[in-house]
Amino acid sequence: MFDHGQPSYAEVNKDVLATMLETGPKYWILLGTTMGVAGICFFMPWFYQLIVGVGAAGMNRNAVWGTYLSNFIFWIGLSHSGTLLSAVLHITNSPWRKAIYRSAEAMTLFSLMTAALFVMVHVGRVWFVHWSFPIPNQMGLWPNFRSPLMFDVMAITTYLTASSIFIYMGSVPDFAAVRDASTGLRRRLYTIFSFGWRGTAREWHTLGWAYTFFAVFVVPLAVSVHSIVSWDFALSIVPGLHHTIFAPYFVCGAIYSGTAGIVTVMYCLRKFLHFEKYIGQVHLDSLGKLLIALSLIWSYINILELFSSWYGGTSFELEALKFRLIGFYAPLYWEMILFCAFVPLLMLSKKIRWSWNKMLVISILINIGMLTERFIIVATSQPRKFLPDAFGFYFPSWIEISITIGSFAIFATLFLIFIKWVPSISIYEVKETLKPLRRDA
Amino acid sequence: MSTFVEKLRSYRKPGYYDEFDYHWTMTIDLDRCTGCEACVVACQAENNLPIVGEERFAQSREIKWIRIERYWEGEYPNVKMGFIPMLCQQCDDAPCETACPVYATYHNQDGLNTQIYNRCIGTRTCAVYCPYEVRYFNWFTYTWDEPLEQQLNPDVSVREKGVMEKCTFCIQRIRIAKDNAKDDDERRVRDGEVVPACVQSCPTEAMVFGNSKDPGSKVSKMMKNPRGYKVLEELNTSPSIVYLTKAHS
Amino acid sequence: MSKISRRDLLQYIGAGGVGAVGGVLYGESVQRNVELLIPQVVPPDDYSPGVASWYNTVCNQCSAGCGISVRIREGKAKKIEGNPVHPVSQGRTCARGQAGLNALYNPDRIRTPLQNAGQRGSGSFEEISWGDALATVGSRLGRLKIENNASRVRLLTGRVRGRLDELFAQFMGLLGSDHYQQYDFTYPSALMAANKTSYGTDVLPYYDIKNATFVLSFGADYLGTWISPVHHSLAYGHLRHGQEGRRGKTVQIEPRMSLTGASADEWIPARPGTEGLLALGIAHALVSDGRYQGSDRDEWSTALAAFSPARVSAETEVSDDKISQLAREFGASAASLAIAGGAAAAGTNAVASVVAVNALNHIAGNLGKPGGVIFNSEQAFSSAAASRPAGHQGVLDLTEAMEAGDVEVLLVHDANPVYALPENVRFQQALQNVPLIVALSSFPDETTEMADLILPTNTYLESWGDDVPDPGVGFPVASISQPVVAPLYDTLSAGDIVLSLARQIGGELPIRMRWGTMEEFIRDRWREEYNKRESAGEAQEFEAFWQASLEAGVWGQPGADSGGNSVPSTSSTIASIANPVSMFAGGESDYPLVLHPYLTATFLDGRGANLPWLQELPDPMTSVVYGSWAELNPATAAEMGIKDGDVLEISSPTGTVRVPALTFPAIRPDVVAMPIGQGHKGYGRYAGDRGANPIHVVANQIDTQSGELAWAATRVKIKRTGEKLQIIKTDGVTRTLGRQILAPKNDHG
Ligand SMILES: Nc1nc2c(c(=O)[nH]1)N[C@H]1C(S)=C(S)[C@@H](COP(=O)(O)OP(=O)(O)OC[C@H]3O[C@@H](n4cnc5c(=O)[nH]c(N)nc54)[C@H](O)[C@@H]3O)O[C@H]1N2
Ligand code: SF4
Ligand code: SF4
Ligand code: SF4
Ligand code: SF4
Ligand code: SF4
Repeated sequence: MFDHGQPSYAEVNKDVLATMLETGPKYWILLGTTMGVAGICFFMPWFYQLIVGVGAAGMNRNAVWGTYLSNFIFWIGLSHSGTLLSAVLHITNSPWRKAIYRSAEAMTLFSLMTAALFVMVHVGRVWFVHWSFPIPNQMGLWPNFRSPLMFDVMAITTYLTASSIFIYMGSVPDFAAVRDASTGLRRRLYTIFSFGWRGTAREWHTLGWAYTFFAVFVVPLAVSVHSIVSWDFALSIVPGLHHTIFAPYFVCGAIYSGTAGIVTVMYCLRKFLHFEKYIGQVHLDSLGKLLIALSLIWSYINILELFSSWYGGTSFELEALKFRLIGFYAPLYWEMILFCAFVPLLMLSKKIRWSWNKMLVISILINIGMLTERFIIVATSQPRKFLPDAFGFYFPSWIEISITIGSFAIFATLFLIFIKWVPSISIYEVKETLKPLRRDA
Repeated sequence: MSTFVEKLRSYRKPGYYDEFDYHWTMTIDLDRCTGCEACVVACQAENNLPIVGEERFAQSREIKWIRIERYWEGEYPNVKMGFIPMLCQQCDDAPCETACPVYATYHNQDGLNTQIYNRCIGTRTCAVYCPYEVRYFNWFTYTWDEPLEQQLNPDVSVREKGVMEKCTFCIQRIRIAKDNAKDDDERRVRDGEVVPACVQSCPTEAMVFGNSKDPGSKVSKMMKNPRGYKVLEELNTSPSIVYLTKAHS
Repeated sequence: MSKISRRDLLQYIGAGGVGAVGGVLYGESVQRNVELLIPQVVPPDDYSPGVASWYNTVCNQCSAGCGISVRIREGKAKKIEGNPVHPVSQGRTCARGQAGLNALYNPDRIRTPLQNAGQRGSGSFEEISWGDALATVGSRLGRLKIENNASRVRLLTGRVRGRLDELFAQFMGLLGSDHYQQYDFTYPSALMAANKTSYGTDVLPYYDIKNATFVLSFGADYLGTWISPVHHSLAYGHLRHGQEGRRGKTVQIEPRMSLTGASADEWIPARPGTEGLLALGIAHALVSDGRYQGSDRDEWSTALAAFSPARVSAETEVSDDKISQLAREFGASAASLAIAGGAAAAGTNAVASVVAVNALNHIAGNLGKPGGVIFNSEQAFSSAAASRPAGHQGVLDLTEAMEAGDVEVLLVHDANPVYALPENVRFQQALQNVPLIVALSSFPDETTEMADLILPTNTYLESWGDDVPDPGVGFPVASISQPVVAPLYDTLSAGDIVLSLARQIGGELPIRMRWGTMEEFIRDRWREEYNKRESAGEAQEFEAFWQASLEAGVWGQPGADSGGNSVPSTSSTIASIANPVSMFAGGESDYPLVLHPYLTATFLDGRGANLPWLQELPDPMTSVVYGSWAELNPATAAEMGIKDGDVLEISSPTGTVRVPALTFPAIRPDVVAMPIGQGHKGYGRYAGDRGANPIHVVANQIDTQSGELAWAATRVKIKRTGEKLQIIKTDGVTRTLGRQILAPKNDHG
């Protein structure tokens, strides 16, 4: 389990807390950079767009939905695996989860937030977006519960709430550890965060019970979220979107990209927070195998989708299919197939699966492929609907591209802030995995 | 709660809308339509459609509540052209309506698919869902070069950026006709009293508009024409526009 | 013929707004630029806030003379619709008619009198007062009159009818110049000339499309641009489904499918310039079939002997089967009708071609009967309808005179010859020899830019006038134009400018032209007409008649006889039958393609290009907006490796234009078509500097018989420049892909 020999309990505390308590200039430079990029690439263009209108983006009559919405799906997708994986592994009692789940859950939270931001960026009048909350207005008018967008609002807010509670609950003993290791203001703060955790048997018992309860609760939620996101598309009758396979397709894709995302994040934690001791080959190997499985399911669903389009034989679906495979955006389609269906097969080789660098590259390629997948769904279906006269094209504008880049910086910023406030590895659960050999702590 | 459920059930009852007085319907005879586009300008004038400018037109950001689609058939020299005016079909089972999270587009009791600009938050879902692609989005706030704003119709609001819009069957004209009918001894609106701008202008009289609930109305008679059909009928959107296909001599 | 009874008229009068208000508003225009700090606390009596009123007047976007109703709210024009009681438009309008509001409220309107402040044509002007402007022109004209040099004054206008035409004529006559001429590119001059040959009278007959069952059009885009599109469209709708159990058929012969061709049941791309020949081929078949039974049957046989379908087929590239079939249908139809116009009447053989088509009507017995060609020489107001030629010969003479230094003052009203003439007419260069150019115009344009003095005119929606539709509608009709809103700016109507100039010049002019305003003049003339018809005309009664006419916007006598339905003298028709094949400028080897310039339903001859609604209106056939293009048959384009958007250099023997290419499925492979209307250089912000004007490269060839411009008789060569331009259009894919769009079943393969 531990590549570099088993650490002591004290070492665990020290190693993990060090990442929070000792902040070097590198961190500040990094944080400054991500915040700067977020500001310049995301918020400034968005501000400009707020002033002139959504027309600042490249969307048009041919595709009224564009990269904002495809990025929204991407980030929602990335949010899977975090909480989901953590919950499933907790239920199945897999020990290798413990070192990575905290960061994975944080990923969920932050990608959900980023996704929510894309909703704001997407809509025409964000200043009225609260009308889509289930609150009646002054005339007793409620939002429309038949709308898949309303399902979305409900599903995502529920998921966000549950994931937040889940990650918070799991962090309480660690907040207590931070409290105990710090002084002054920080101590007072973490006293509040840790709800006065003392570590009594009763507390541990309650936590264990509640944690398992939430783990069970969160799993169907995660599955439902991306199913519902898929219904934004599948409930339309647009050729290329109106597929029954969409819900499992989206869920599978989400877990797929989320798992790849975890590999990327793990690499960074190891690299920058020096968690080599805790995040080891066993994690990488397990995730690699999981990725292979997911990529096979993903490929299968893709083939299924193509098949049912073709088999249906309507002019609408055939045209959409043709446009996707050999039309204007076809290079993107084949790029996606390469990155998501073929590249992951490399992981069949144990040598590759055990190489951090190679796995990093593969995990990033998978997510590039998945980002493209979402774009393809949005951009190849709308411009080929029912009336050929209205066929057209859509190109993202530089504002959309910039906001897309900026969103990664937002995610990174949130993550950087997170590692200074929450132990990014679960201290107490890592300790649970230590074999009680030495008693020097 | 129980009244709420009852209300909900009554809405969902098939034929709910039949209880109301009007079902505004249009017929368009493709054997008369010459593709002249008088209707397109008439709608632009009546409904304060913006002039989007060359650059934005080039980006497919135009706004035309009614457009003429053109389809070629055959190859030179046996080539034929088919024109078809395309506007909101005022579907009875409108896919756009279920899409809207805030009820900015909904079905009214006259069988119209209405669009409430003030309520719209601009998600554009309705436009994705509409199979006829007749919904147009305000990507920008458009202005008129002074003094062109003087021609704006005071009966129709001017839309701001971020809002979806589309053909309303000239609801302002329907309202005026209904108001007049109400003032005039609470009578029903008579056939021919409501004429949408596009129908009004059409030089070949290809379009007929009226209340299909009234069996004596011109539109009811036109709907019985054996050439009648609905565009993309297999999608089951139940459009309120009946087209009459081209005939041959 | 339209069925409008007096009762309809009267009913409408009851419902209309208060027409005379126009006069009140007009009077107010004298106090200009009044801005109220507290607007309309007490509204003027003539309107109630929030209540719309409708004023009837006449559309002036083309010469059809449609009656329109303008919706006014709070003194502003909001919507133009057809005047339901007007027999030409019957409540309808075309796209251009609707866009009249864009003319009224055009941001580029000339708002005050201007005088040239730099070099001529530089486009820099400075404001002057009306007093100074009128004095400058008046004194110059007065001096020339005294010096007996008034013939050095020329007046060039666009198509002007009714009392304004009379006023112009009277003014020039009293001044002592007989050089008043009109120029309108769309004017069917060749048709008039041919009718003179065929029928001995140069009236425009009424083509009764409404009651026809078979319409054979040689190049006339009667639904889009030709003579009276709205009226024809109404008739077309009726032809198709106006009568139970009957559907009229239409056939269109033209090298490039027009709007009318698109609606036709058959579209026949005969070789350009051979349309007349095709008509003779059909006539030959009709006569040899024995369908024609007139006494002069043998003479016809002899005259047509040379035009057997087999021979005609070779030259026209229309199969002889097709010719025979057309002859059969034309002869057998209950009411057939042949029409000639457009490019078919714009070759060097224009008159001969139209005469051939006229012969076809004669042989099939279509003259003077419902569904055929109807002559209604008797017009409402005989003098008002006087057809002043508006053709090419007049401007050529003018150009010559200018070049020779014979023109000292050129008055231009509502005409844009710098734009609408081929470059090798050298009109613009000739203008340099004119010491004083005065433009009466509402908008800056290429010709106005050359002026020394600009007298800004009201738009038609702010002017008094009247009109007699030409061709008539079968019974006497006259329309009144009235200002529907007060003039927006410091402008005057053309009529008022002429009256003011008459006063400036003095002498007998103000005595003979005694009216203070155009309104007064119109009223006076209408009183005369009224008195002529209602012998015991008392002043009181006229007042009622006038009010009623103003409110209805039109006066007519639907029951009255349409006048002498003259039967043509066939002998002259027979005698003038000749091989009508057009001669093209440019050899076929150097210039392999025929240039087919065409009027567009949106801009007509370019006059609509400054109206933003029309710039944003997709071209009906191609869906292109904001620009011009050159249409090529897909096969021609493929052969030359040309793709949509490739900028082409199109050169004729006399000039070159550059436009992007656009493949078009319905055009002959040996033809390149270009829409007329774009390519403006100084026509305001919306016309911009976009596209190219094909008229400029048309060789200045004329029809041998009428002297009219043969604008469809130029050959060109095309070259790719390597540049690309985005053609802005709304079309995505223009095939139905077997989808249920145009018909209930998948019958599109
Ligand atoms: N001249 C003048 N101006 C004023 C005032 C004034 O007294 N005089 N008062 C000011 C005040 S206090 C106010 S509150 C505002 C009011 O100004 P507005 O809000 O403009 O009020 P209205 O003109 O009464 O109604 C607006 C439009 O709503 C339409 N309408 C009616 N019922 C419905 C409906 O059910 N749905 C929809 N969509 N439309 C409907 C009406 O036909 C009308 O065209 O005006 C202000 N401005
Ligand atoms: S045509 Fe489109 S916008 Fe109109 S009701 Fe139907 S789905 Fe809705
Ligand atoms: S764009 Fe407006 S009308 Fe359409 S779904 Fe969104 S909120 Fe509703
Ligand atoms: S019915 Fe009215 S809103 Fe609809 S297209 Fe016609 S003019 Fe426009
Ligand atoms: S106005 Fe009438 S004829 Fe012209 S395009 Fe519209 S529907 Fe067709
Ligand atoms: S045809 Fe059109 S432009 Fe010409 S007068 Fe009539 S409405 Fe005006």
